[in-house]
Amino acid sequence: MVWLTGGALAVALLMILGLLLLVLAQGCTTFWPVPVEQFDLHDGRVLMGEATRSERFEPDQSLLDQLDEESRLRAEDRRTEGDGTIQRRLLRIGNYELTGEHFAWISDYEVAQRERPPWALVVERLEWGRFYGEPEAFLLDGEVVADTPESVWAAFNEHHAAARRRWEARRRLEVHEIGRVNARQEAARIALRKAEIDHGAESTQAAAAASRFESVQREVEEEFAHLREKIRDFNEENARYVLVLRTAQGQEKRLEAAEIVRAYPANQLSLGGRAAVYFSRWGEFLGDNPREANSEGGVFPAIFGTVLMTIIMSLLVVPLGVLGALYLREYAKGGAIVSAVRIAINNLAGVPSIVFGVFGLGFFCYLVGGTIDDLFFRAKSASGPTFGAGGLFWASLTLALLTLPVVIVATEEALAAVPNSMREGSYACGASKWQTIKRIVLPRAMPGIMTGTILAMARGAGEVAPLMLVGAVKLAPELPGAINSIAPYFHVERSFMHLGFHIYDLGFQSQNSEAAKPMVFTTTLLLIAIIAALNLAAAWLRLRLRRKFVGNQF
Amino acid sequence: MAHKHTGRIAGVALAAALAAGPALAQVSVDPALPEYKPVKGVSGTIKSVGSDTLNNLMTLWAEGFLKVYPNVQIEIEGKGSSTAPPALIEGTANFGPMSREMKSQEIDDFEKKYGYKPTAIPTSIDMLAVYVHKDNPISGLTLAQVDAIFSKSRRGGHDQEITRWGQLGLTGAWASQPISLYGRNSASGTYGYFKEHALFKGDFKDSVKEQPGSSSVVQGVATDRWAIGYSGIGYKTADVRAVPLAADASSPFIPAAPEYAYTGEYPLARFLYVYVNHKPGSEMDPLRREFVRYVFSKQGQSDVVKDGYYPVPAEIAVETLEKLGIR
Repeated sequence: MVWLTGGALAVALLMILGLLLLVLAQGCTTFWPVPVEQFDLHDGRVLMGEATRSERFEPDQSLLDQLDEESRLRAEDRRTEGDGTIQRRLLRIGNYELTGEHFAWISDYEVAQRERPPWALVVERLEWGRFYGEPEAFLLDGEVVADTPESVWAAFNEHHAAARRRWEARRRLEVHEIGRVNARQEAARIALRKAEIDHGAESTQAAAAASRFESVQREVEEEFAHLREKIRDFNEENARYVLVLRTAQGQEKRLEAAEIVRAYPANQLSLGGRAAVYFSRWGEFLGDNPREANSEGGVFPAIFGTVLMTIIMSLLVVPLGVLGALYLREYAKGGAIVSAVRIAINNLAGVPSIVFGVFGLGFFCYLVGGTIDDLFFRAKSASGPTFGAGGLFWASLTLALLTLPVVIVATEEALAAVPNSMREGSYACGASKWQTIKRIVLPRAMPGIMTGTILAMARGAGEVAPLMLVGAVKLAPELPGAINSIAPYFHVERSFMHLGFHIYDLGFQSQNSEAAKPMVFTTTLLLIAIIAALNLAAAWLRLRLRRKFVGNQF
Repeated sequence: MAHKHTGRIAGVALAAALAAGPALAQVSVDPALPEYKPVKGVSGTIKSVGSDTLNNLMTLWAEGFLKVYPNVQIEIEGKGSSTAPPALIEGTANFGPMSREMKSQEIDDFEKKYGYKPTAIPTSIDMLAVYVHKDNPISGLTLAQVDAIFSKSRRGGHDQEITRWGQLGLTGAWASQPISLYGRNSASGTYGYFKEHALFKGDFKDSVKEQPGSSSVVQGVATDRWAIGYSGIGYKTADVRAVPLAADASSPFIPAAPEYAYTGEYPLARFLYVYVNHKPGSEMDPLRREFVRYVFSKQGQSDVVKDGYYPVPAEIAVETLEKLGIR
């Protein structure tokens, strides 16, 4: 029996560890910079890029027959050397606006020469993905100020950080300042529409609101003009610094320094330099907004959405679940109805999560949300629903429903474990039922309740299917509930990004799927880490509570 | 002298070879399209629900639009073209991207609520490609053959069902291998378009492995040597090959290359639409008006190129903007 149970545990651990190791190994290596190689092919093409993976394949005879005489002979030689297979490599060639491809396969027999150009730069840009090329010149105001690779690189490093800072300052202006002005304008517009709806378009109130709107509009235009000028100044200053690169094919490409997120000479990096690039990429991944249809940049909005949703869900589900369990265990008299309720709760735990999603969409979003819109947000909802569509709050509520059985069952078990003698002792001292529950039963059941909460949080944070219906979207960089300068401070009605959905999106819907694949593992790793962190926090809380009450026991 | 001369010819030949090579056949945006210029008074939320094929493109447009109007809010959802009409009817979205035209049933439902038809905006051109594994030596397929591979109805007129690569003339190890089929789920506009134009409205075989996204079809074909699947050209990777197609047995095989998208020679070229709720004759709100203008600007159409699709010519842009009353 020992062997059977031990063996079962070993198999379970092996599976879990295998999965975790796969995710860890793939997720951790994504951001490590690899050398850039240049391949001169026999047909005259020159390709430069990062080798991502290689494989051996059995070439079909008909494929070889299509080649010209020379290449066929070379291919056949390679095939004999490799026991019927030929080696080929997948090269990330980037430069999408010039080539139309992100990746290319290169078979061994095509290669005439292979080298690592010392000055090959990997350039990560705001748009169009990576660029590979050698530094040709650095322009300041259109004048060449550097033309050897070393001096170009030095000039780029000298100006890049400042250009990026200006870019960030512009970004802040755009998001915060313009956002504030826009919000004011929008508020005035809504006030006008509200007055029109409430009192009719011809009424005096509507006329007053209209004149207010006019005056706000005038002020806003002035502020806008001022802000736009500032932004234009930043842009003009940034347009002065241009890096010129030459691709392996010999084409020239001008890149504004501010449009470059990161650049490094991949073949000259020391171990420390590689580590710096590696951690800088992690920093970007964790802290930035996504770019280029989510295939690049960071996942900060998704992290934020996941964490906030999980927290709101816990705040909703724990009180509800605990109170429900208290009634079932402490107040309700046993009987057919209570048994039926228990069975129903257990069944609820077995309902597929997508059913909760459909319920959430139909009931919370359309019915409840639609009613709220009709009653309170008629003016605002004229251009689109406010609460009447998927959003963070409805998603949290749906998941709260989904995880309710976990909390109820765990709490009931915890309450049952409190010895009856303690309750009786409390009654004997003259305490009422509620006093007994509050002072004696609940504190001792607390660690068990926390365990239920942890389980519920883990289940909720990892759930994706129902969220696709009730509010998780591909792109919503505006943080829901973020404390920003625009009142009201919390926008729980907005749709949000979620890490689980992000994984699905990267894995199944990404245009550049070859580049997105490693990101799937990295994002998975991140999601697992976040769930683990949330669980650890709850476990730490449970430990503290347990210590506190152990001290009180007598 | 003679030597120099030869050198130049070789150089010219090389340049010609490079220009003809697929690696350099890049599509360019019609220079007649206008640059996008920001205007005043644009704010609100862009909410898009619809096609998965257009999902990335909508996101790119939204990101570009956000650069011009930083405080516009954007929310983009893409679970299939069939989700767009209900969202437009319910008013939960202000843009409904679709990779096929609306069906008459969907238009009727919309008209019943609003009293006018939704407006289709042809934003870009896609070639629905039939993908095989990169090692697959097949040189081309006729639509009738594609139909016999994917459909159990065989309305294309091919005399027998095609289940093995040998039936398509492949030899060696390929001849005896069964064809493994990948396709989209039925909410997808790509599924609907393929059913109508490649299967001649016949039914898909039950053995088609239905995938949740366009990219997963391509990934499925990439990892399965004996596979065939269909998806938009924008999702092509280095691991798959788009098979040249012929409309019928007498016409030539046309590769899925941009030059054939515009001539209409490629049999499965289609417009990618964005539907909007626009009352004919009325003026559009600034947010949607500017978004549509952005889509038809140089910037918007270069986003199309970035996503692997083909930009629309300026005439279509002008015609569509006129239809919407946008100057």
